[in-house]
Amino acid sequence: MIKKDVILYNPLRLIGYETEDIIPEGGFGAVLARAGVGKTAFLVQIAISTLLRDKNVLHISLDNPVDKISLWYKEVFSHLVKQCKTDRLWESILPYRFIMTFKVEGFSVPKLEERLTDLTEQNIFSPHMLIIDGLPFDEPTRKSLPDLKALAKKHSMHVWFAVRIHRHEQQDTDGMPARFSKVSGLFDVAIQLKPEGKEIHVRSLKGSAKTVEHPALLLDPSTMMIKNSSL
Amino acid sequence: MEHDIQKVRNIGISAHIDSGKTTLTERVLFYTKRIHTIHNVKGKDGIGATMDSMELEKERGITIASAATYCSWQGHEINIIDTPGHVDFTIEVERSLRVLDGAILVLCSVGGVQSQSITVDMQMKRYKIPCIAFINKCDRSGANPFRVIDQLEEKLGHNAIAMQIPIGIEADFIGIVDLVSMKAIYFDGDNGENVRIEDIPENLLAEAMEKREELIDAASMYSDELTEAILEEKEIAEDLIIDAVRKGTLTREMTPVFIGSAYKNKGVQPLLDAVVNFLPCPRDVQNEALDMEKDEAPVIMDSDPKKPVVALAFKLEDAQYGQLTYIRVYQGTLAKGSSVVNIRSGKKIKIGRLARMHADQMEDIEAIPAGYIGALFGIDCISGDTFIAPGLNLSMTSMFVPNPVISLAIAPKDNNARINMSKALGRFTKEDPTFRTYVDDETNDTIIEGMGELHLEIYVERMRREYSAEVTTGKPRVAYRETITRMAEFNYIHKKQTGGAGQYGRVAGYIEPVATEDFVFENKIAGGKIPSQFIASCEKGFRQCLGKGPKIGFPVTGIKIVINDGASHSVDSSEMAFQAAARGAFLEGYARAGAVIHEPIMKVVVETPAEFQGSVMGLLNQRRGMIISCQDEGTLCAIEAQVPLAEMFGFSTVLRSSTQGRAQFTMEFVKYKQAPQSIVEELIEQAAKEKKNAA
Repeated sequence: MIKKDVILYNPLRLIGYETEDIIPEGGFGAVLARAGVGKTAFLVQIAISTLLRDKNVLHISLDNPVDKISLWYKEVFSHLVKQCKTDRLWESILPYRFIMTFKVEGFSVPKLEERLTDLTEQNIFSPHMLIIDGLPFDEPTRKSLPDLKALAKKHSMHVWFAVRIHRHEQQDTDGMPARFSKVSGLFDVAIQLKPEGKEIHVRSLKGSAKTVEHPALLLDPSTMMIKNSSL
Repeated sequence: MEHDIQKVRNIGISAHIDSGKTTLTERVLFYTKRIHTIHNVKGKDGIGATMDSMELEKERGITIASAATYCSWQGHEINIIDTPGHVDFTIEVERSLRVLDGAILVLCSVGGVQSQSITVDMQMKRYKIPCIAFINKCDRSGANPFRVIDQLEEKLGHNAIAMQIPIGIEADFIGIVDLVSMKAIYFDGDNGENVRIEDIPENLLAEAMEKREELIDAASMYSDELTEAILEEKEIAEDLIIDAVRKGTLTREMTPVFIGSAYKNKGVQPLLDAVVNFLPCPRDVQNEALDMEKDEAPVIMDSDPKKPVVALAFKLEDAQYGQLTYIRVYQGTLAKGSSVVNIRSGKKIKIGRLARMHADQMEDIEAIPAGYIGALFGIDCISGDTFIAPGLNLSMTSMFVPNPVISLAIAPKDNNARINMSKALGRFTKEDPTFRTYVDDETNDTIIEGMGELHLEIYVERMRREYSAEVTTGKPRVAYRETITRMAEFNYIHKKQTGGAGQYGRVAGYIEPVATEDFVFENKIAGGKIPSQFIASCEKGFRQCLGKGPKIGFPVTGIKIVINDGASHSVDSSEMAFQAAARGAFLEGYARAGAVIHEPIMKVVVETPAEFQGSVMGLLNQRRGMIISCQDEGTLCAIEAQVPLAEMFGFSTVLRSSTQGRAQFTMEFVKYKQAPQSIVEELIEQAAKEKKNAA
């Protein structure tokens, strides 16, 4: 299997968005779910599909150590290409990935900007996509989002967030969790992972694709991989 | 010497460089009355710590060779192996762990779990060594033992449980609260030798109660009696907690954590109590030997001192009276005057002098029973040899020995140095399996190989100091390799008719890359086209080509050769002819098989204050490094990168100067990877130059 096959095989294409990046440059995307439902796995799938297109991904985690995130990538990648020898392919995508971890309390937009400048000015790494996992969507975070948006625009990055929601959280009329709906205006796309019975449904809360006729998607609970519900 | 095996502890003290393990060992020896004064690492008194017996260690302030020593505490005999902290000497750590039953993992309360602690912890996991943790340097500014406990859980996955809490912290650190006895412990006297036990200070009582609850809760997992006592709300006896924690520790399901400051003489005596209470005696640990007669089937060792003896030589040293061999007895008793067999050489040896070691001083003893560590004199053996009673055929499991990744040419300055250098090399290769030496056929240079720049530097330095062998060193060389990238066919005829018997052989087949092994040879000749007696010669011919690859001259690895056709002549074919034909066939196939150069890639982890993060990443990037991650730890951050070894020479100096000496790094081999074309061209040019110079 070569890179192209893996890209074609990638179930994310089934989501049916017009561009491969799903969100525009400087845009925000969010994956909302309760703890343990598969936000990280979902984001890692988006990241891998970007890495396979030879685009840089900076994965920022605020609650997991580097080793654990690396393991997620390895797992998801091996599920994606399980039927072939992948060593070389894996090696070829690694240079496009950069993992950065922060303590939740140590993370701030100015700090991120400083780190990004370190990387870009020395030509070490210039991210095409930014993944931010583990950011608590509390008041201070919500206030800093416009700054982050400006940073994303400045560096032409596509930014994805994992947003943890709670079981009993109130929803607004669009079905958006209350705390998120306050900032949803900043987001181009919001996808919710919702467990129903033994299945995890992938629901679009905002910015769903124009080509409506795409099939409903599920997350396979055993592998956390996206699959077509008809499969 | 008493022989109650329940009262023996063979322990190691493992940790990150500079977390204070040699200082801790020094205090342990002082409180157990093995020494009568305390010397510190790089002491102002110019003497240096007792365990750092090599002059060089004293000068650099690091522990290189792990000295073994013993002491006694509360009627228990504790054998301590002091282990080096730098990753370049990791084989020493691994070897020590092989013979240990338990370990103290020393952590710095400021630095916390650092990259070297992770390496050492992985090694402990590999050998299933139960451990207790000691969070040292609680008197330092920035000390936070509870943060380190969290890191033990997060980074190393330990079920770390605090057994003590500090009374005061940083400069105000004055003592500890023991959560088992619920007493405050203070350390009085010039050297903290007088332990004063008092009630817990009022202001710490609530915190102590809370932490004790956590401790009992965690310990109850390993003891039904303790759970019962909790449920029945009885008063919980100290023994009950100790027994439960011991059970959890022995199965590596729990890591009790102790705190203190060895330098300020605080918390060491309770740590010794913990060694006795929580770490295993030799009988608690299951050791296996391999039965050489039954295809290396594992045999469980019985620590009964009356059984036939099985012992392992785990460390060699050059002493005044000849070779000193550190030995651990796993079964039976090694007695003075008895005979044993070295399983590797098959030689029978009579045990002359036996000793118990205390760094570089010793004490003669009559016997070493199972479970004990001691030393032998005048025995010719190498590190890792197993000694057994005549009639047995067992070997202790072999240790994992990585291949060297770096080499250095050395030349003696004069004839005297030549003799001494050869003596030193003989000794070092026996002591350290990762250190190798050979003479280059072409240049006649003596080459030494090892695991890193510092590793080789230390040995060159030791040659000078211990053997007065003045040597000049060349530039360190990276162990590059050649391999192929595609399948290619060959069909080669070797024919010579120059008077006398002729030579004839034809070898055909193909060569292809193989990922899992260095070399595979497969014979698919049908119909006797190459007579079977010449097949081995073909293989030999191919193997002869592997040492020096045709592209630049580096060893060839990762290839498979299949021969499927050929021809012979009834008179002119010979072993020689087929060897030559195979060599020709190899060159023919290799030239078409897309040969490439592979270089060793190292995993480099730099720990640096956050303000230097950008410049450290820049340094790694300049060195063709691929930065994998960057972990922010508040004031410190850890940057992990994969960097070609060739680019890492002199990195420590550059790193020091660009971080005001505040960053440190560890480096270990991860894999071989194809070198970029520009580097290959440089190497070709360099090889051509060397050839010209040699001619």
